[in-house]
Amino acid sequence: MSDALATPSLPAAGSGRVSSWRLLFNNRLATIGLCMLSALVLMTLLAPILPLPDPDATAPADRLQPLFSAGHILGTDQLGRDILSRLIWGSRVSMIVGFSATLVAAAIGSTIGIVSGYAGGRTDNLMMRGIDMLMAFPYILLALAIVAVLGPGLMNALYAIAVVNIPFFARNVRGVTLGLSHREFVDAARLSGKGHLSIVLTEILPNVLPVIVITMSTTAGWMILETAGLSFLGLGAQPPQADLGSMLGEGRAQLFTAPHVSVVPGVMIFLIVISLNVLGDGIRDVLDPRLRSGALLRPGPVTAVDPERSRPKNGKPSAILTVEGLEIGFTRNGRYSAAVKGVSLHLHPGECLGLIGESGSGKSVTALSIMGLVSSPPGIIRNGAIYLHGEDVLSMPQTQLISARGSRVAYIFQDPLTTLHPMHSIGRQVAEAIAAHQTLSRQALRERSIALLDRVGIPDAEKRANHFPHQLSGGQRQRVGIAMALANDPDVIIADEPTTALDVTVQAQILALLRELQRERGMALLFITHDFGVVTEICDRVAVMRDGHIVETGKTQAVLGDPQHEYTKRLIACVPEIGTGKSFLDRVAPIFAADAEERP
Amino acid sequence: MPSYILKRLLSMIPVLFGLSVIVFLVMAMIPGDPAIAILGAYATPENVARINSDLGLDKPLVQQYFIWIGNVLQGDFGRSFALNRPVLDEVLERFRATLVLAGVALVLCSVIGLVAGVVSAVRQFGWVDKVITFVVLAGISVPSFWLGLILILLFAVKWRLLPASGMYAVYGGGDLKDLLLHLILPAFTLAVVAAGVIARLTRAAMLEVLRQDFIRTARAKGLPERSVIYRHAFRAALVSVIPVIGIQAGFVLGGAVYIETVFQWPGVGAMLVKAISTRDILLVQGGVLVVAGSYVFFNLIADVVQTMLDPRIRT
Amino acid sequence: MKRLFQRAAVAAAFALVGFTAAAQTPPNVLIVGQIAEPQSLDPHAVTATNDFRILVNLYDGLVRYKDGTLEVEPALAESWTISDDGKTYTFKLREGVTFHDGSAFDATAVKFNFDRMLKEDHPFHDTGPFPLSFNFASIDAVNVIDDNTVEFQLKEAFAPFLSNLAYPTGLIVSPAAVEEHGQEFGRHPSGTGPFKFAEWQSNQLVAAERNEDYWDGAPALEAVVFRPITDSNTRVAEMLAGGIDVMVEVPPDNLASFKSDANFSVTEQAGPHVWFSILNTKEGPFADKRVRQAANYAVNKETLVNDVLQGTATVAAGPIPPAFNWVESSVEPYPYDPEKAKALLAEAGVENPELTFYVTEGGSGMLNPVVMGAAIQADLQAVGFDVSIESYEWNTFLGRVNAGLEGQADMAEMAWMTNDPDTVPYLTLRTDAQPENGGFNSGYYSNPEVDKLLDQARTSTDQAERGRLYGDVQQIVHDDAPWLFVANWKQNAVTTAAVQGFKLQPSFLLHLKDVSK
Repeated sequence: MSDALATPSLPAAGSGRVSSWRLLFNNRLATIGLCMLSALVLMTLLAPILPLPDPDATAPADRLQPLFSAGHILGTDQLGRDILSRLIWGSRVSMIVGFSATLVAAAIGSTIGIVSGYAGGRTDNLMMRGIDMLMAFPYILLALAIVAVLGPGLMNALYAIAVVNIPFFARNVRGVTLGLSHREFVDAARLSGKGHLSIVLTEILPNVLPVIVITMSTTAGWMILETAGLSFLGLGAQPPQADLGSMLGEGRAQLFTAPHVSVVPGVMIFLIVISLNVLGDGIRDVLDPRLRSGALLRPGPVTAVDPERSRPKNGKPSAILTVEGLEIGFTRNGRYSAAVKGVSLHLHPGECLGLIGESGSGKSVTALSIMGLVSSPPGIIRNGAIYLHGEDVLSMPQTQLISARGSRVAYIFQDPLTTLHPMHSIGRQVAEAIAAHQTLSRQALRERSIALLDRVGIPDAEKRANHFPHQLSGGQRQRVGIAMALANDPDVIIADEPTTALDVTVQAQILALLRELQRERGMALLFITHDFGVVTEICDRVAVMRDGHIVETGKTQAVLGDPQHEYTKRLIACVPEIGTGKSFLDRVAPIFAADAEERP
Repeated sequence: MPSYILKRLLSMIPVLFGLSVIVFLVMAMIPGDPAIAILGAYATPENVARINSDLGLDKPLVQQYFIWIGNVLQGDFGRSFALNRPVLDEVLERFRATLVLAGVALVLCSVIGLVAGVVSAVRQFGWVDKVITFVVLAGISVPSFWLGLILILLFAVKWRLLPASGMYAVYGGGDLKDLLLHLILPAFTLAVVAAGVIARLTRAAMLEVLRQDFIRTARAKGLPERSVIYRHAFRAALVSVIPVIGIQAGFVLGGAVYIETVFQWPGVGAMLVKAISTRDILLVQGGVLVVAGSYVFFNLIADVVQTMLDPRIRT
Repeated sequence: MKRLFQRAAVAAAFALVGFTAAAQTPPNVLIVGQIAEPQSLDPHAVTATNDFRILVNLYDGLVRYKDGTLEVEPALAESWTISDDGKTYTFKLREGVTFHDGSAFDATAVKFNFDRMLKEDHPFHDTGPFPLSFNFASIDAVNVIDDNTVEFQLKEAFAPFLSNLAYPTGLIVSPAAVEEHGQEFGRHPSGTGPFKFAEWQSNQLVAAERNEDYWDGAPALEAVVFRPITDSNTRVAEMLAGGIDVMVEVPPDNLASFKSDANFSVTEQAGPHVWFSILNTKEGPFADKRVRQAANYAVNKETLVNDVLQGTATVAAGPIPPAFNWVESSVEPYPYDPEKAKALLAEAGVENPELTFYVTEGGSGMLNPVVMGAAIQADLQAVGFDVSIESYEWNTFLGRVNAGLEGQADMAEMAWMTNDPDTVPYLTLRTDAQPENGGFNSGYYSNPEVDKLLDQARTSTDQAERGRLYGDVQQIVHDDAPWLFVANWKQNAVTTAAVQGFKLQPSFLLHLKDVSK
């Protein structure tokens, strides 16, 4: 049914993975669905040995007995047949047909999808036009027509339903295959001389399998409904055989006089399909790599704070921003791991502090936590305090914290392509930053935002204001980011690797701009980077971070000139100098060899 | 943009052409012929042969098809055998009704689906999310023909709040209010399943978008959570949900078959079921082309809306 | 906020209630719930009882069935004479009658009607096809004697001729309207009947209004509206919800609840209908008469009509329905006797014959065929038959059954509604009516005695003699058991208590002229 399955990235093996079953059982709804379905399947499997009356034995004189009558717990139908017995035997038939149809549709549809996606070009085009036609054909009519051609009967209903559902498999699988067929490992397999069939079977199929399973689990319920629909129209099971749809269809004549005859099979269909759907929903969540990685968890507006955290005193009351003993971690699948382990920092008005460290050292998490921007879940601030003008940010009510964002502390982020909203014009995005804290007329808003864009060096700002981020160069986008940060003249700007995604010449321009603006407006700047070269350009002081700790801090020149910590030395050594060429690598190699020994 | 739309419209032609061939073949394969449907119990071979020659059905299939397609190109869709009426008249009259029903159902399922999906995403894992998830999955799990009957039983027979069937009151109706009253039950029944699908996808899309960097930017600006969710996240999520709404149009149009029968809605779906059973091949052709055409058209609209929402595709 | 919402909801509920109360059926307009949309309103172009119910209110024939009987009485013809050889019928037409479109009804108009149906070279023959024109196949020529006299020349004597004229295929349409609308006449009907066609909204309604100038006195109702409601549950729901005043073909199970409700009144009327299963007498187990009789003993028809059909039918004894009360027959239905059935099977040397049973899913006069099929199957299994059902949608079913059961099946459900005892046996039981000869004898029954009796009865103009002959047919066919005789249907209708003067006719037609509300 759903056609918009995103191409899942290949599931990454890693320590954070838990077994699929455990994930499934974590989902209570899915667990209920699984239990219900198992119970239903078990019941139908046991049908032959249960003490049930013959489902086809008629007794017209005892027809339409109500629920709970003697000998017939669910009453009898229009021919006096036992409804319970027919229900169980009928569920058996309906499930077999529904599941077989799912398998048939999955097999054919996936084959079409893989061939189409893998072959591409003309074949793809032709096959997809065929699928389009199938989809454009009203599905019930297609089934009706197929049954009309083949004649009635359960097997033919099965084929009809399978055919009708082929497009979903074909389209979903094709989408994924198309993505895979240009991936490196497929190219590699091709270059190594593997045949097409072997590539499809060994490289493609294992990777599209999750999509097939997801599509199956989400369409199986639908198929059972459709089987019931066809039987309801009299095109499925042949009398006297019971299946849920025909029970519903035949019992409908008594809807007003003996509603249980049709309500009972209706409820049964509902139970089977909903347990399948609930389970399918759970399976999709489990197999979807985005959910496993936590990418499908909704982040709250502010980072969660442990109510029992320790709250160290503000050790530098003169500073505009002080971070004391900050500890932040992430909870994934019930396991907590710390990312920042007791960091303390301070920033004076008008000062620029560089926070430097390699990726994963916890510097960005530290920076984001200051205004509560670490995503929760999974992030949580376990300990420490953050003082802004002497006031503990972590104790602020949510609304106060939100109103401090942008007005007192503003951020500039790393990748300006993903950090700007792709569907809003840049003028609007800047204006929005202003409007969040100041009430201005539309005209004034526009003028202010154009002035800001102009100030950060966007040429022809008035016209450019109507452009969208993707129409701008990387450097210009970052200038927009800076303009947004400046919008409310904040006291502190936190720049999280603002130049990392840019090329060197643009990087220099942006740095110059930042320095100029900082001096002009007297703002404090917390500058996060992994590059000592950048630090020397702009920072007054520097703090070196590693594995969630600050290992060294001091005036930039002092640290640079006389690094105390081994790690700092290595970082400094990593700044390449022009003209050193291969000798640079020779110089760096031993340092990192030592590093490798040092870490477990 | 206009050239894109034109291109899409042109690409419809081979699909519709292919469909017409399929319809012709399928209808030719179905046993029984229209003469039997016209004659009913009095269908002797002799009478059947007479009527088949009256209707031009004694010609070879390929020839029949080319005669038909030739006429269609001149705007003549032929006459319905069973109704003895121009196909175009009947189809257009019926299509209006289907369009009203499917259109309203589509709007209904989009609104319900989007709202439920967004609320469910925003309250992820809260009880609201659980309730919505359950209700939505329940909606997908109910046989719609059965739901329709139960709704009639409750709302029309028991409580007498709404009319049981039809499109307008027989007397004194005919205005918009009358139409809306008649629409409530069938449109709701029709929308239930599609609303569920849209809700689930909206939820997933919202959750994905809420993890994006630009949402963090919006938060860093100090925007209140409401505008973060509705102005930023929803807008972006909508772009990936819209094509799904287009596909749901197919289900709504297809599902209309059951609903139109149960609610006696004078639409194309019910007409097609009857036309298949009476082997009214030209009426089936006309009906399928209209339904398939509107499916493609709804998808085109979805694409256009998506393009308008997302400036990255626009250029 | 919450209060506001509550208030709005209450207001909306009131609006709904207020509106639907006002939408009850209007006074003096009768709304009839039909089972389907008519195919056409051209009486010569249709075959369904459902359509006939509308048509007899828009048109008149030369003759019609007398109220409550199947006897013929004058309508547009004031009187007629039949020549001694039974081959010339001369009708004296009623004067001063005009069609709804204003054109005059006269002998030329009558000639036009029959020539259009029967003559391939008639300029308006292409406004057909006319599927039931074979009812008049015996007509050689229609001659205009003067404005008010018309003469029918038959090829041979044909006893059911008058009865066929009274059947809806004999209704007279306006030549002027046919000339004006051509192929679209079926959507722009014009006759002389008590109601004038007003409007047809596709699949929604056909409305007709009072003909003030009706020759037999203007009807009491201002208008009638026929609403097609195909789903029987929806039809019942509309009846219960007050959306329609009259509902025909009430599902048997709902009849009891309507009967016990003072707001409704139920009308029942037996008619010439027979529900049976054709048995394949050519091959397979049913080639043996004893096996056919065994089947007739094995099926408990009392239970079928009383329980499955809830008393909406009676047990059939033979091919001729008891509604033709002038047929002299004392044949009793086969009793339910499974032991005798087993004995007969043993005698025939087939203890467990295998059977294929064709069942249809619907179709005119078929009365819940799937459930009936399943019940029959169960009864047959109980005495040793091994029955497998194949069910088909009506038109496929007809295609298969009418082609003959040979090589396909051993038995098939079937039902007929007729206007003369001649029709069904003549079309379905004669040796010459086997499928290869273009008849409906799909079970290949052949008995020269029956053939002879039928031919005799057909050409005799003496009703008493015909009654005796058909009585003999009934007896012989009963004994030969080429069918499994099951039921004769009593048609039914429900009206609201406000509807007065509503009657069903044995002819299955629905005359609304004398109904008031």
